[in-house]
Amino acid sequence: MNYVFQFGPIFRHSDELIYGAVRTMELTAASSAIGFVIGLAGALARSFGPIWLKRIVAVYVEIIRNTPLLVQLYFVFFSLPLMGVKLSSDQAAILALSIHLGAYAVEILRAGIQSIPGGQIEAAKSLGLSRRQIIRHVIVVPAARAVYPALTSQFILQLLGTSIVSAIAAEELTAVANNLAMQTFRNFEIYIVIAIIYFILVRACSLLFRLVSLVLFRWKA
Amino acid sequence: MRQSHRRTVLHGAAALVLGLLVTSAMPRAADATTVDDIVSAGKVTIAIDTTTPPYGMIDNDMQPSGFDIELAQLIGKAMGVPVEFVTVTSPGRIPALLTGRADMVVSIFSITAERALQIAFSIPYASQSSVVLAPKSVNIKSAKDLAGLKVGVTRGTGEDGLLTAAAKDIPGIEILRFDDYASISQAMLSGQIDAMGGGDYGDIYLKKSAKGDDFELKYILKTFYFGIGVRKDSPELLQWLNTFIFTLRQDGTLDRLSMKYRKVPLPPLPTF
Amino acid sequence: MSLREFGPNELFFLLMATRWTILLAVVTVVGGGCLGLFLAGLRVSPSALLRHAASAYIGFFQSTPILIQLFMVYYGTAFIGLRPDPWPAAAIAFCLNAGAFFGEIFRGSIEAVAKGQWEASKALGLRYVATLRLVIIPQASRLSLPPTVGFMVQIVKTTSVASLIGLVELSRAATMINTVTFQPVIVFGTVAVIYFALCWPLSLLGQHLERRLNGGREREVVL
Repeated sequence: MNYVFQFGPIFRHSDELIYGAVRTMELTAASSAIGFVIGLAGALARSFGPIWLKRIVAVYVEIIRNTPLLVQLYFVFFSLPLMGVKLSSDQAAILALSIHLGAYAVEILRAGIQSIPGGQIEAAKSLGLSRRQIIRHVIVVPAARAVYPALTSQFILQLLGTSIVSAIAAEELTAVANNLAMQTFRNFEIYIVIAIIYFILVRACSLLFRLVSLVLFRWKA
Repeated sequence: MRQSHRRTVLHGAAALVLGLLVTSAMPRAADATTVDDIVSAGKVTIAIDTTTPPYGMIDNDMQPSGFDIELAQLIGKAMGVPVEFVTVTSPGRIPALLTGRADMVVSIFSITAERALQIAFSIPYASQSSVVLAPKSVNIKSAKDLAGLKVGVTRGTGEDGLLTAAAKDIPGIEILRFDDYASISQAMLSGQIDAMGGGDYGDIYLKKSAKGDDFELKYILKTFYFGIGVRKDSPELLQWLNTFIFTLRQDGTLDRLSMKYRKVPLPPLPTF
Repeated sequence: MSLREFGPNELFFLLMATRWTILLAVVTVVGGGCLGLFLAGLRVSPSALLRHAASAYIGFFQSTPILIQLFMVYYGTAFIGLRPDPWPAAAIAFCLNAGAFFGEIFRGSIEAVAKGQWEASKALGLRYVATLRLVIIPQASRLSLPPTVGFMVQIVKTTSVASLIGLVELSRAATMINTVTFQPVIVFGTVAVIYFALCWPLSLLGQHLERRLNGGREREVVL
């Protein structure tokens, strides 16, 4: 086949590509932040909560982790309105992505909590620390250090995972790329360009996380 | 997955360059397709999409069916070879041709000048109006009335282009782009959008649901003409397809297909 | 043509399409697993060049969306004169992608085996490949089993991306049904149940293996 690569038509749309990349990062950051809070609450509930709460969290984690994100997006956007909860595309995307990440975060954080040797908790008890102090100083902070690598990896997976939210009309990098593909019909060139953009985003985030871990934990994560 | 923390940015960059080199290696020699090529190959490969009813869909026996599918089968019959279907998605149509995966594309392929820069179109075999649909209670007569409303379209369709252009001139129109017609229809039924741009087959679809009776055609955006797509370097095949479509127009086959699948007759089809 | 309700025919169609989801996942696990083993071997090899080459490969596949990788294999290979069908294209793309992730899982497990074992093998006169095969892999495989099974769940769910190059697996079948029934809640609800039925047993197995690996170490934290 004779195919002549023409990147010109794509670079004329660089504004849109930048917009898409920014939207991707916004969706990733917002949903990761909310998902982390969900994960933290869930992990605490699952480790220290009453049995019924543990069960509920376990069911949530299993359902979300064993079904595709796409199906979850459809549910939030198309089915919740039938129950009277109407969210915009962006809100629905962020909610679904948050719930998705939350389930993984519960498991990661729970593993972190369990990585604390029981002896330390007993030691803290014998020092007379309150329940709240123990949770904070003996469990949460050391566990954070232990789970940091897994959480940041999950953030990267979330970044790549946002590429499917265009199914409910939310705009991000892949959606912009698909729009441009339909306008310019330069599919090959566009996919090469957005592969590079995703690559740069992921690399930049990895680098940032490594720097943050050096500052936070003074420890090579 | 645990990230490797030793990996440097440099490694990654090298990998990226490697990957791109592989994908952007020099193109191969041309593979023009002639009618004789198809006949001697003993089959014709035709790209279709089974998620675009009533043109391409699956029937009760879960087999491909629809206006485009039947037309594709007629092409195989006229050439005297069996048809091999290649299913593609809407954005995959041009790549399917360019990479030689299909000899031709028969899948609601609207004839546009931009697309014709990359592939060649036959004369039209069908036409379809793009229209704006909305609930009866919403008063819409033209694009101006869409201000302040959420309008759903299928990404990259003619409606998308026209309504996006309208949204640039008229502030307040919010365009939501979905991947397929079923998603917009569902968004309408869920109340996620106030109006939708789509093909003029709202009757077949939305009326089916309980709430669907409430929707009506507001105004026509534009009429599109569907052609069969082939590679630019296959003028002989293109000429045969034009001749074949001409004969189908003359003997009433296209009108019969239109009544069978679209429930309305075809308007006059121009020739270019 | 009739636009219709979601019925037994449609359910059957979804179940038949599930075969392809399962087959694609199996091929990916086997192919990706072999590739991952190879990559992990390179990642811990004594040669710096091989280590860097393997980590570059893994870097590329872990840093771009699988959708883009799939497009590159399916459409991009035309530029080197290949024209894979959707099936082999999807299988190759998923194997290449899974290989990168498996490679990291296996490398982590190999590195978790105590360094002394390498030294002991060396002292016994075992060469690099023999050390890997006879000493390291038997121990590392025990460690890598739980994350491997966990990643298989991910693979099953990821196969849905193949629908975007026209492969009629579960997700694409669902879209086809949805465009004629217009009942996305039922259609995608059914699909969710099918995916769950495929993934949950794997998840349970992964958790079971993890518990067994941790032996008595996993315990409830008591306050």
